Amino acid sequence: MARFLKSRTPILSVALMALLLAALSACASPQSTFDPQSDAADSILSIYIFVTIVASIVGFAVLVAMVWLLIKFRAKPGVPARQIHGHNKLEVAWTIAPIFVLLIIAFPTMFWIAGTAEDPAPDVIEVEAIGHQWWFEFHYPGMGPDGGDLITANELVIPVGRDIRVTLHSDDVIHSFWVPQLVGKTDMIPGRTNVLETFNAYTPGLYFGQCAEFCGVAHALMRFRVNVKTSTDFSTWVDAHNAGPAAPEPGTGAARGRIEVAAGCAVCHSISGQPGMSGRIGPDLSLFGERTTIAAGILDNTDANLRAWIGDVRSIKPIPEGGLFMPTFNDGTLDEGQIADIAAYLNSLTAE
Amino acid sequence: MAANTGILRRPLAPAGIWAWMTTVDHKRIGILYGVTAFFFFLLGGMEALVMRVQLASAESTLVSANTFNAMFTMHGTTMVFMVVMPAGAAFFNFLVPLMIGARDVAFPRLNAFSYWLFLFGSLFMNFSFFMNAFPDMGWFGYAPLTSNEFTISNATDYWVLGLLVMGIGTTAAGFNFVVTILNMRAPGMTLMRMPVFVWMTLIVAFLIIFAFPPLTIALAFLTFDRFFDTNFFVDIGAGSDPLLWQHLFWIFGHPEVYILILPAMGIVSDVLPTFTRKPLFGYPMVVFAGVVIAFLGFGVWAHHMFTTGLGPWANAAFSATTMAIAVPTGVKIFNWLATLYGGSIRFKTPMLFALGFISMFMLGGLSGVMHAVTAVDSQQSDTYFIVAHFHYVLFGGAIFGLTAGVYYWFPKISGKMLSESMGKLHFWLLLIGFNLTFMPMHILGVIGMPRRIYTYAEDMGFEFLNQMVSTGAFIIALAIVVFTINIVRSVRQGEPAGDNPWEAATLEWSIPSPPHHYNFAIVPTVRSQYPLWDEDANVVLPPALPAHDEPIMPDPSYWPIVLAFAITMVAGGLIIWQGHAIAGLTVIASMGLLGMRSIFGWVLEPMEDEAHVSVHH
Repeated sequence: MARFLKSRTPILSVALMALLLAALSACASPQSTFDPQSDAADSILSIYIFVTIVASIVGFAVLVAMVWLLIKFRAKPGVPARQIHGHNKLEVAWTIAPIFVLLIIAFPTMFWIAGTAEDPAPDVIEVEAIGHQWWFEFHYPGMGPDGGDLITANELVIPVGRDIRVTLHSDDVIHSFWVPQLVGKTDMIPGRTNVLETFNAYTPGLYFGQCAEFCGVAHALMRFRVNVKTSTDFSTWVDAHNAGPAAPEPGTGAARGRIEVAAGCAVCHSISGQPGMSGRIGPDLSLFGERTTIAAGILDNTDANLRAWIGDVRSIKPIPEGGLFMPTFNDGTLDEGQIADIAAYLNSLTAE
Repeated sequence: MAANTGILRRPLAPAGIWAWMTTVDHKRIGILYGVTAFFFFLLGGMEALVMRVQLASAESTLVSANTFNAMFTMHGTTMVFMVVMPAGAAFFNFLVPLMIGARDVAFPRLNAFSYWLFLFGSLFMNFSFFMNAFPDMGWFGYAPLTSNEFTISNATDYWVLGLLVMGIGTTAAGFNFVVTILNMRAPGMTLMRMPVFVWMTLIVAFLIIFAFPPLTIALAFLTFDRFFDTNFFVDIGAGSDPLLWQHLFWIFGHPEVYILILPAMGIVSDVLPTFTRKPLFGYPMVVFAGVVIAFLGFGVWAHHMFTTGLGPWANAAFSATTMAIAVPTGVKIFNWLATLYGGSIRFKTPMLFALGFISMFMLGGLSGVMHAVTAVDSQQSDTYFIVAHFHYVLFGGAIFGLTAGVYYWFPKISGKMLSESMGKLHFWLLLIGFNLTFMPMHILGVIGMPRRIYTYAEDMGFEFLNQMVSTGAFIIALAIVVFTINIVRSVRQGEPAGDNPWEAATLEWSIPSPPHHYNFAIVPTVRSQYPLWDEDANVVLPPALPAHDEPIMPDPSYWPIVLAFAITMVAGGLIIWQGHAIAGLTVIASMGLLGMRSIFGWVLEPMEDEAHVSVHH
């Protein structure tokens, strides 16, 4: 028996190590649900911790009871097993006991569900998010030029301290919208309209989001950012978005890039305030220079990364050939100079 | 005269490859199921190892996204449909007739037919690997990713048709075991004297009968969408709905979880009494809890869909039913623990695996209750927390339980003992490897790692835990190597087992190991739940009968394998038809005719060959 117990210790140490790591890793990951940054994520975490404690107590008690029984009733010479067939009262008791434990966790569950059906604050910001293979499109109804939609992609910009309600759609297959530090996930389903739980971000900053429903070959690389700004910065961003970019200095790379974009990219991509640049197949490129990442949250928005991405998206993401997916351009369609010009133009699109 | 119902002579030789291909003996079919399930277990395990090597480092480029997606799709499909289900079927087949005092199942040829459909369906699906069309859209096959628009190759065709073929066999097996258990019990074997494993088999058989039709319907819809341009899941504007697939799939999929776990619960409920030397505590409650689990299992499917926007009422209702299912599950665990109380516990390998089952399955159950809480599920759903949860249930639960069964009944099946020391090494390696693999996955989920991603960025902070997980996976692989060596060694040079090496109490231990093909020389009369322990209900039998007195058993038949082959090839013809219409139609027509011929041959063929019967009389 002693040997039996001794060989159990590695498991205990593994479990302890795992707990320790949980504490360490929880702070380290930008997608940790243990580091909530909004009211919604916070309330989920408090239920989460409560349920974990209840489950841990039950689990620990049962494991301890099992080990005790195994030690106490191990085979001993001359001690026969007691022929017990059952015990009605005990069996009724341990049928009823779990019901009480479950009721304890059912209450916060039901209150939380009821809370999700509540109306948001009157100054709520409404956003429509559309999933595409493999990027996110965001519309802000009524906030765009002439009272239309403000459209952006892959970086959701919102003001701090305001209720945000996101309506979810999909353009192709099922995706799922998830920003662990701000709000739990809800699926984006073609032909259906889902509404994400309303959330209210605590502090300005960048938050990591990721598609959480398998949506085809590049699912792992379908990510996005939520950029929470102060309300002044948010207004600046909206105004700059609607005003459109200033024309680049003639003779610069950005000016040459603008011509390339108007002649080619704009077939699929749009830039707010630029007549003729209103393609709706690929992501919107307005205020591109404000974005921190490219390729749906995969790469930092640096000049080198952007040139590599424009040249050959397939060197970065496993996107199939053909269809409505972005073509390859560094196969002779565009030369290095042209690609550099386009990159220069896109990153000249800032709010300043 | 029987020969005129067939084209080929009926193979009556008791040994050789033909004997196995045409066997209708439930014990041989059980062994076929077991060996096939183990082969696919190794295959599915290798698919898992490919994933673990890929994920062991951030931004790894070892395999492509397509390959990784195919690995997790086929790992899931393989482990559910080609490993755990048939491993359960291996035990049903070998044990149920022995445990209830019968000489075979109710429909022996149908039983063979079920096995061949399972084998051919599995091979058919895996054949896609050689056609460069390995399924890669997830084992759950969510619409509309499975439509022609989003899957260009035949990958989804192989998957959907393979599952359809297997489903026919499984459904037939469900009916076979219901009839067997209800009608073939020996005198005195009342329902409440049946071993718990037989009870769980009965419940699983009913679950199969009721849960497989929704899957079959969903697969048939998808087949029509893909091959004949119907519109069940594809064109949303025209009124179809991708969520329809999810409802159909999960109303099958959740009972399926109990189809996978109840056999293991039955095994554990029979192993515990043997190694504690006392009856199962609260037998009627354990049985009743199984029945309740099966009923509730049909009312919880939408907890797989909490994030699909069903609305607060649906979420609240399914949250409540899901929590409710923890009650009968808890009852079982408490009764198993109470069985230990007052016992004389012997820590033999089957007992260790049974205890591993109880503890690991309980942990999986508790994390299951955690995501019955919809708030928590909105963060956990589709993350590694879920992967951890269902591996605790299906690996820590089902696989540990089934392995307990292998160690327990291998002596009965083969007549040889497995090595105890290697068995213990296997157990501890597996327990440590299993926890090292799946415990950190809980944390990975909590810190935001989604499922089904072939790569992750370095700054996500996922790498260290993934390395732990991958290390654990290789310790599991090592444990499986020990297991394999143990089996091979025992088959070659294991110690003879004798009739009842564990001094167990149930009927299968009253007959020789391995049993005669007719099982019981004289059908026993049963007077208690533990006939071999209760002296006044002694059922000791003469070990064997002289050849001329042997009971007449159903003779082998090649019709089941031919019919199963024809059905599978019709599915193959459909795939050929997409590329080459004439060739495809030719295959479909000829195989359809062969199938029809097989049905007639089967129906007109007597159970016992006349030539064979006349030997005895």
